[in-house]
Amino acid sequence: MGMALMRKFIFRYLIPRIIQYLTIIFVGITVTFIIPRLAPTDPVEAQVSTMVAMGSSLDPESIEAMRTALTDLYGLSGSPVEQYFTFWGRLFRGDLGPSLDNFPTPVSSMIGQALPYTLRLLIPAVIISFIFGNVFGAMSSYYPENKALKVIEVLGQVVRSIPYYIVAIVLLVVFAYFIPIFPFSGAYPLGTRPDWSSPEFILKTIEHAVLPAATLILIGFGGWFVGMKSLTSNIISEDYVVYAETAGLRKNTILTQYIMRTAILPQLTALAMVIGTVFSGALIMEVVFGYPGIGGLAIRAIYSNDYSMIMGITIYSIIGVATAVFVMDLLYPLFDPRVRYQ
Amino acid sequence: MALLSVKNLHAYYQTEVYGISRTVRAVDGVSFDLFPNEIYGVAGESSCGKTTLIKVISGSIKPPLKALEGSVNYTFGDYSVDMLRASQDELRQNVRWKEISYVMQGSMSVLNPVRRVIATFRDIVDTHEGITDKQKFLEQTRAHVNRLGLPTDVLDAYPHQLSGGMRQRVAIALATVFQPSLIIADEPTTALDVVVQRGVLQMIKEIQAISSNTVLLVTHDMAVHANVADRLMIMYAGRIAEEGPTETIFNEPLHPYTQHLIRSLPMIGERSTKVSLEGAPPNLAHPPTGCRFHPRCPYVMDVCRTEVPELVTVKERHRVACHLVKEDSL
Repeated sequence: MGMALMRKFIFRYLIPRIIQYLTIIFVGITVTFIIPRLAPTDPVEAQVSTMVAMGSSLDPESIEAMRTALTDLYGLSGSPVEQYFTFWGRLFRGDLGPSLDNFPTPVSSMIGQALPYTLRLLIPAVIISFIFGNVFGAMSSYYPENKALKVIEVLGQVVRSIPYYIVAIVLLVVFAYFIPIFPFSGAYPLGTRPDWSSPEFILKTIEHAVLPAATLILIGFGGWFVGMKSLTSNIISEDYVVYAETAGLRKNTILTQYIMRTAILPQLTALAMVIGTVFSGALIMEVVFGYPGIGGLAIRAIYSNDYSMIMGITIYSIIGVATAVFVMDLLYPLFDPRVRYQ
Repeated sequence: MALLSVKNLHAYYQTEVYGISRTVRAVDGVSFDLFPNEIYGVAGESSCGKTTLIKVISGSIKPPLKALEGSVNYTFGDYSVDMLRASQDELRQNVRWKEISYVMQGSMSVLNPVRRVIATFRDIVDTHEGITDKQKFLEQTRAHVNRLGLPTDVLDAYPHQLSGGMRQRVAIALATVFQPSLIIADEPTTALDVVVQRGVLQMIKEIQAISSNTVLLVTHDMAVHANVADRLMIMYAGRIAEEGPTETIFNEPLHPYTQHLIRSLPMIGERSTKVSLEGAPPNLAHPPTGCRFHPRCPYVMDVCRTEVPELVTVKERHRVACHLVKEDSL
């Protein structure tokens, strides 16, 4: 019995999803490979002309040599099919090419440096806003008369309708300038060297993360709140909720076990998507707070036409979203018994 | 001593949208008594106020529904409670599920879709009695389910794994965990095929016979009433048209509406075509004047259009509201 179920789980549930997961990544990365090659600009020429324009006196021969070297470095030598295979070969070795903007630092090491900062900031922020938004959203539709919840709803709606960089700037001005309790920018004090073994340094990084995190939480809260409220307002009139009320069950039991338990399911899928997109950073927010994460990296790469960096971040983002959705898909039967082994 | 005494009950749905108020007189002057140890049937077409009546007597009045007039009094042994005035806390502590339980319309979807059946039992028992000994609770619940002829496996199943008939039986098992004085069953057999219907009805009858409690059975299905109910109330447009012992109602129906309902039942060996009653039940936002049945009544008289017929007792326990019938006519 146990074995049979296990086999059923592996062949009917797990393997199809693994295939789907790998297909999504494959297609996504292939598209990332094709699109820059359809663009009218040539990164090699752009690079060469910048170097020439910067005044380096180079003879035509060395320019030609540089051109060949760069073409090779960007994986642009050979026919498109050859390029495609070299591209995958490099990818498997973790080689995303050199950054054009910070030549010749490899893209992978720059992303490797920025990614932990982004994840440390975004994942807790997403989770906190998810929990609060959903709990308050469900409560506000179950207790429509509650004054405090009404105030929270209005605040959430107001903050959500303001562009998030404005929210960021307002928080920055209020809590770093007028009431200077939080630092202005960065992920740690200027001039210090990152030292993750020192508790003092870790405390400093937390202090630096408060305002960016608060921005993300405030913005995210409204979204989860509204989503959960509309999901639960349908569930409240479902027969099993009315029944639980007629049976005189405690309000808390009804709210958590009967209403939220079913309403949370689509929200979990949405959470997986949001966690996936964390890998491309929070673009403008990171710029406003001068935070050294993926988002800042992406913005700079876009400004400076840093193709390999843009591709690198896109690939991380594709893998991030696909993995998060894949993991959620595997965990989903634990939350919703109706999809078990289907 | 009546278990439940309803007197002159008026329950309306009052809504106001853009300043236009609308009143639907779903239950309009209903009086009746329920006694211990009986199966009392309530019959009538859709939208005649059956479900509203149940909502009021089970204490689930929520806006826009309002009970404007009348009283709903229960007497459970030496404890009595006024349903329209009791606080929600009192109802929760002393009345709900312990004295009055409810098998809802659409009972098939009353089970939480993402939890096992046992969880709903646990919630109900824990709320009303508290569970101190988990093992004992499990044993008692298994025994209870077994007594009703259900396999104990259903407790570990999720609702979607059970058939409609099984879910209906689970709902009945849930309604009887505490041996309540009154079980209200709202359309318990609707949406079930006849074979399953028979099983469910038998289950209700057996439970009633064993625990001698009262069952209030609401359904539009006259055949079900004929099989199960001891006494029967025929509702029309928010009022009682006729009430009496089931046999009397079926053998000598006095109200033209009751006569029509009974004539619409197929009989074994009968070959005539069934004639359906012209028209539909009135819109209860604007009910007809006088007798509410007069627009559809084949024997309509002038008095019917202006005067509301009173509910008169024609025989012991047989009451009817029709101008054709006078108190002394029988």
